[in-house]
Amino acid sequence: MSDRRPAPPRVVRAIQWAMAGAAIVFIGGIITWIIHLIRTAWGLRDVPSASIGISLVAIPVFLTLLGVILYVFWGLLGDRSGR
Amino acid sequence: MPRWGMVIDLDRCTGCQACVLACKAENNVPAVGMGEATRGRVISWMQVLTEEEEGHPGEVKRFLPRPCLQCDDPPCTKVCPVYATYLNPEGIVTQIYARCIGCRFCMAACPYNAKYFNWHRYQKEAPGQNPDVSVRPKGVVEKCTFCHHRLQKARERALFEKRDLAPGEYVPACAEACPARAIVFGDLSDPGSEVSRLARSPRAFRLQEELGTKPKVIYLTEGEGRG
Amino acid sequence: MAEPADHRDATLLAPIERTGPGFYWAVGLLSLFILWGAIAYWTQLDEGLGVTGLHQPVSWGFYVTNFVFFIGISHAGTLISAILRLSRAEWRRPITRMAEVITVMVLFIGAGQILVDLGRPDRVLNVIRYGRYQSPLLWDATSISAYLTASILYLYLPMIPDIAILRDRLGKRELLYTVLALGWTGSARQQKVLNRAIAVMAVLVIPIAVSVHSVVSFVFSMTLQPMWHSTIFGPYFVVGAIFSGIAALIVAMIVFRKAYGLEAYLKPIHFRYLGQLLLVMSLLWFYFTFAEYLTGYYGGEPEEMKVFWAKFSGPFWPFFWGMALANFVIPVLCLMRLGRRTVGKVLAASLSVLVGMWLERFIIVVPTLSNPRLPFGEGIYWPTWVEWGETAGSFALFALFYLLFTKLFPVISIWEIREGREVGVKEVEERVVSYLPDTGEPVPAESVRRR
Repeated sequence: MSDRRPAPPRVVRAIQWAMAGAAIVFIGGIITWIIHLIRTAWGLRDVPSASIGISLVAIPVFLTLLGVILYVFWGLLGDRSGR
Repeated sequence: MPRWGMVIDLDRCTGCQACVLACKAENNVPAVGMGEATRGRVISWMQVLTEEEEGHPGEVKRFLPRPCLQCDDPPCTKVCPVYATYLNPEGIVTQIYARCIGCRFCMAACPYNAKYFNWHRYQKEAPGQNPDVSVRPKGVVEKCTFCHHRLQKARERALFEKRDLAPGEYVPACAEACPARAIVFGDLSDPGSEVSRLARSPRAFRLQEELGTKPKVIYLTEGEGRG
Repeated sequence: MAEPADHRDATLLAPIERTGPGFYWAVGLLSLFILWGAIAYWTQLDEGLGVTGLHQPVSWGFYVTNFVFFIGISHAGTLISAILRLSRAEWRRPITRMAEVITVMVLFIGAGQILVDLGRPDRVLNVIRYGRYQSPLLWDATSISAYLTASILYLYLPMIPDIAILRDRLGKRELLYTVLALGWTGSARQQKVLNRAIAVMAVLVIPIAVSVHSVVSFVFSMTLQPMWHSTIFGPYFVVGAIFSGIAALIVAMIVFRKAYGLEAYLKPIHFRYLGQLLLVMSLLWFYFTFAEYLTGYYGGEPEEMKVFWAKFSGPFWPFFWGMALANFVIPVLCLMRLGRRTVGKVLAASLSVLVGMWLERFIIVVPTLSNPRLPFGEGIYWPTWVEWGETAGSFALFALFYLLFTKLFPVISIWEIREGREVGVKEVEERVVSYLPDTGEPVPAESVRRR
């Protein structure tokens, strides 16, 4: 099957890596947001424990999701050069 | 740091609702109109609740003027997602109308139903309103603030005159208007103030005290009390 | 992925290749409801929430009910897809895609309900700028964001091999499929990467999903209101969510089975198993409900009893008993014997459960608000055309999103069906053999060492 299909044009690759970039921006944005909320609560002295407690769970979860996304992108897109 | 509180003597309350009217006039509370009123949307920061005599429907046993109880552990501030309602250092639970997103979580959480919502744009800014109090837009929650603007004005006057705030200089509209002098207002952190003295009375009780909201509006029961 | 096998699964690609008049009729009908919803919301934006039936004390009504209901349905994807994948249940193969699509689409609609409920939707960014993590609404925001991300990923990853098939075979929308296929060639390394990623997601998505509906329940249980402040709410809502999710999945399966002629793939045995799951969830739901109400009744606390009687025999009795009928009586009667007319019985039970679970959310939200602790006037809640329109429009929008998805991507996972044929049968046989006691065959090296 691989000999029938032409190599993907640069445009397609660019869009695909842009998707990976968007994932980093999106999840990075969420993590930045959570940290911003912690800092606001800390500054206002408004139950910072709630913010910290939730971020202790939420941030690792989002990082894991980002990890899976990047792993898949690297594993699938990176494989073409390996063959 | 003062902690503002209120004592309402139920023995003196006649249910005349002068407090309700004074509050509405002072705080630009909109008159929602009869249509909205029949739909249950009256906004009444100070509201006189009536308890009926059991077994004698229609006979009112007790009038309960209910402002915001300005809890020291407010269930409403806990659930606000945007810091639109918060407990300020002097003990007043304030509302920031400009930040409220109208989710009404605080309304659902308040065990005293002390919060009200602007279901429509009930009024625009117009002459004849109290210029010290903002006019609320539609879609935000509002409630009694112990006439916080009066505190600010009194403080500024005292600052200008280079003196301290005198006791009794800051009184909310309801306390000022009550003809039976059933509402006493003052600094609960001052053990000598009249409010503190009355709050220690054997007739004193707090509404729904078992919920742990620590309200700063204390009621004095009728008669000799349970003391 | 050899060419000859392709033709067996041509039915699965047919909806993407061809569009019949039925599709346009469906889109037209759904658009009418969506239009009604749009007009309703526009009216509300213009005039304020006063155009609804909400008031003081019932300040939450249809919108919050719909929010909880739709987020609940999103548990369809998790249960079927993740748990069945992890437990290696082979019958999940034609179902996983449909389940995962439900989750993704319905989360958007569910989150949208909260936006619709806001008095100042123009200020929704305040939640991002000034959010307070002590508020359960922020827990909702975080948890639903995590779940949305995870479920989009969990839908997308198993779709990649199918997108590659579309890229190679379809002829239209080539750029879209080429981009989304991420250069899939089916090589051994790519398969390993994908399988590993899917396995990780299957494990990760379950606790996220449980957290989502738990925090939705915490919006109610973290207040002090009678019959809301209950410790059972977290698990109760999760059970209810899985329950309504399975029902929604069954309905979606039956609709598309008919519309796209998928009888060969969605066989009575699949509906039988799902029907049995639905029956189990119905019993579980009943148990939680019974425990909740018995506890309230036995304690007899006056304010709780006010709400209890309002539901039991007061103004809300038709909804309460309707809920019991639709969530328990009808499903149990339909699902007890699934021998003949399986699909019909399962459809009837599922539709009943969807109605019943919506009523359950309503019965949780409104009666408590309607019976405040203080002698406030008792609140009667009558929803207006705005709320009905918004509800109808939301259901229609969800259906439309789903329908459009099936036109772009296969609604049954082609490669998983093929994997079931090529690999699944052998694997299951080996598994079953491994469960049984060993016969007198040559003993493998490890067990010799152990003796």
